[in-house]
Amino acid sequence: MNTILVVAEHRRGEVRPVTLELITAAQQLKTAADDRVLLAIIGQEAESLASQLQWAGVDEIIACKTNSAEFEPELAEQAVSALIVSRKPIAVLLPHSVDSLGYATAVAVKGGYGYATDVFKLAYDGGALVATRGGYNQKVNVEVDFPGHACAVMTIRGGAFKPVETVAAPLLTVDDRSELSARSRPLEFIEQGGGGDIDITTVEFIMSIGRGIGEEANVEDFRELADNIDATLCCSRPIADAGWLPKSRQVGQSGKVVSACKLYVAMGISGSIQHMAGMKHVSTIVAVNTDPGASIFTIAKYGIVADIFEIQEELQAQLA
Amino acid sequence: MSPQRFLSKSESQVPMTAQALVAHVLESGDFYAAVAVHGIADARQRQRLEERLFGSRRDVLMLARWEHTPANVLDALSRLEHMPLARRVVKHRNTGGSTLKHQFSQSDDPALTGLLALHANTPAPLLLQIAMGDHDQVVLKGLARNPSAQPEVLRLLAQRFPRRFDKEIASHAAVPVDLLATLYHRGDKFVRAAVLAHKHVPEALLLQAAKSTETLILRALVKHPQLPAALVDTLSQHKDNAIRAALATRADLPVHLTARLALDESDSVRRAVACRADLAPTLMQMLAEDHDPWVRQWLGRNPMAGKHVLQKLALDIHEDVRRAVARNPNCPITLLEKLASDHRSWVRAAVAYQPNVTSCLMASLARDSAVDVLSGVAANPHTAPALLKRLVFSEELDVRRGVILNPAAGPEILLPLLQDPYYLHRVMLASSPKLSDQDKWQLRDDPDARVRFALFQWLAARALRPVADRYFYRRKA
Ligand SMILES: Cc1cc2nc3c(=O)[nH]c(=O)nc-3n(C[C@H](O)[C@H](O)[C@H](O)COP(=O)(O)OP(=O)(O)OC[C@H]3O[C@@H](n4cnc5c(N)ncnc54)[C@H](O)[C@@H]3O)c2cc1C
Repeated sequence: MNTILVVAEHRRGEVRPVTLELITAAQQLKTAADDRVLLAIIGQEAESLASQLQWAGVDEIIACKTNSAEFEPELAEQAVSALIVSRKPIAVLLPHSVDSLGYATAVAVKGGYGYATDVFKLAYDGGALVATRGGYNQKVNVEVDFPGHACAVMTIRGGAFKPVETVAAPLLTVDDRSELSARSRPLEFIEQGGGGDIDITTVEFIMSIGRGIGEEANVEDFRELADNIDATLCCSRPIADAGWLPKSRQVGQSGKVVSACKLYVAMGISGSIQHMAGMKHVSTIVAVNTDPGASIFTIAKYGIVADIFEIQEELQAQLA
Repeated sequence: MSPQRFLSKSESQVPMTAQALVAHVLESGDFYAAVAVHGIADARQRQRLEERLFGSRRDVLMLARWEHTPANVLDALSRLEHMPLARRVVKHRNTGGSTLKHQFSQSDDPALTGLLALHANTPAPLLLQIAMGDHDQVVLKGLARNPSAQPEVLRLLAQRFPRRFDKEIASHAAVPVDLLATLYHRGDKFVRAAVLAHKHVPEALLLQAAKSTETLILRALVKHPQLPAALVDTLSQHKDNAIRAALATRADLPVHLTARLALDESDSVRRAVACRADLAPTLMQMLAEDHDPWVRQWLGRNPMAGKHVLQKLALDIHEDVRRAVARNPNCPITLLEKLASDHRSWVRAAVAYQPNVTSCLMASLARDSAVDVLSGVAANPHTAPALLKRLVFSEELDVRRGVILNPAAGPEILLPLLQDPYYLHRVMLASSPKLSDQDKWQLRDDPDARVRFALFQWLAARALRPVADRYFYRRKA
């Protein structure tokens, strides 16, 4: 019997949707009927948050009670390490998120476990666990196995697995870890992003505008179009720098990585390395640019050499 | 921000001549500075620079692909005669016409022809040569789309391959007028629509198109400034929403039709009406009550919207409508004051970018905690220098960049940012005309290669300017 441990992520009293994707990923690692998926939730409110984790495919929810209401990397590290020792999982799945990156490496290194980040595929090869992740700037897929390690800690890319949809009533165990202490203490919670604006890392359909937009007045035309097709309007850096869209809508190296995005329509964006850092992983990229030599076409699945205003007008006309 | 390096006076003077600048670079051995000054070096210096630049295969390949590699270095690379390199050089957007020509004469690689057909700098005779001789449909399609293709190229393609590239040719800015007519007559509805959308479409074609019942054709026609007047009335009742919406944007729309379209059942038509500059006050008031937030938003942005309408829209439940009011160039200051304390930061940010905000209001916005608002204050040319001086030390790098982007921020404000921890800001300042070369000279040993490249590129360009220009420039700084 194998055990797979999933660690739920939560913020401000809400379990983050990526947790549901991890449950699906964990199910793919089950090879025998008696393999077990454990779902741990860590924090002061772990027990009450467990009510948001009633999903099929989970055999047991472990509410790890700590004395911190907010995420605290040291507490998470200690709690997860203790769970690995007591429950002996073959794999520990964490979201590939800022929170996880704050402690996952420490767990793996201190425990001497296998480790892979940003994993988007899981499989067995001759009985050995194999994780697939991007390499060389996502240009190649790298398969990682973990010979000699009884357990592998992995951070899983958001959007790579379908979220579980069926509810169930898994067993709940409370694991009191309030004796754990951390060296730091959260003082203030600062919401990332533009004052309650949409979190672009969680949306699936993005239309993004770049300098090809020309002037601010045109931004509104594209916002209207995005609205009409239910896309979230994002942008390249010059647009955010000009104050035409909030900073929270900037995609790229100094902006955000749109990890959950499945369809990205780039309008008048040249495709600088810095912009592509935030979106090149998206499976379907559509690029519209008047310059057939624009770099964005090297990663686009569908490229349209055309004026973005013509396309925008045409789409609006179709939608009208 | 905590400036990491102590602001110190540069120990040495900026080399004033091209030769002295290149000599400095040769002595320092800095690879990226060498790329930047290659174009101003004399023959002997250039040879030494090339020894440095092309010393390793890895560097050569990197340079052929690096987006900032200048045309002169690409030209030197192209003479290294290496096949995979040739493709990289031809693909590079900075490669100049003579280098492209040289590559074409040196190679019979068909992939190069395809790249040349697309390149904006390919010389006209070469494009014509490709149009005359090539048979590869992908190459020729690229050629028909190349914005640098001249009328003869397009004419030739239309002759050699009738109908094959007609859509591309009809959309090309340089297509000759007589060819447009040919394309229209032999084209399908898509080609015809492209012809009608062309700004040089002959009037005779417009009259012909007016008889069409094809929606696609009428959509193209309705946008044309020379739309026959008789058609305006007919089209205002056309069943296609897009046609009526396009009609509603026309400056020559009679008043009675504007009033009718303001009541149109389609949101897209009323949205177009809301943008009009000639709306009667009663129509504006009616549109301000429209159930579609986008109608109200477009009205909020309309510079002709009256005070009362804007007052109403400033209270809208949709933040985007309130933001539209805050972005309206004629938004009264009293409304801006109200919107400056909106609970949504994106609305307050719109106020921060307004040119007609009072200094008192700007000072209060400068105390905001939202980065979008502070960036607006930082980038606003009307922000008081004292405020900018404070924002230079903001923790938020977007805010500091706002100051760098502010057209009114003078050298005394920008100077501390030469030591900004974010390298991009130093890159931007290295090529800012507002700082003196002497001040920028401290960046010559910057830990980031891109900053050094930007500095030496700036200095190299300056070395090519006439002396009088440089003197004026330094005085101004
Ligand atoms: C340290 C650092 C961090 C950075 N971080 C980011 C980041 O996070 N995100 C980011 O985006 N950038 C970032 N940048 C900036 C980046 O280098 C580019 O400058 C930026 O991405 C370019 O934006 P763009 O593609 O909109 O503009 P451009 O490169 O100017 O491209 C505009 C494109 O629009 C096309 N175009 C013009 N008119 C039309 C039209 N009518 N129809 C169709 N196409 C048209 C042009 O052909 C061109 O390809 C960063 C830079 C640095 C140095």
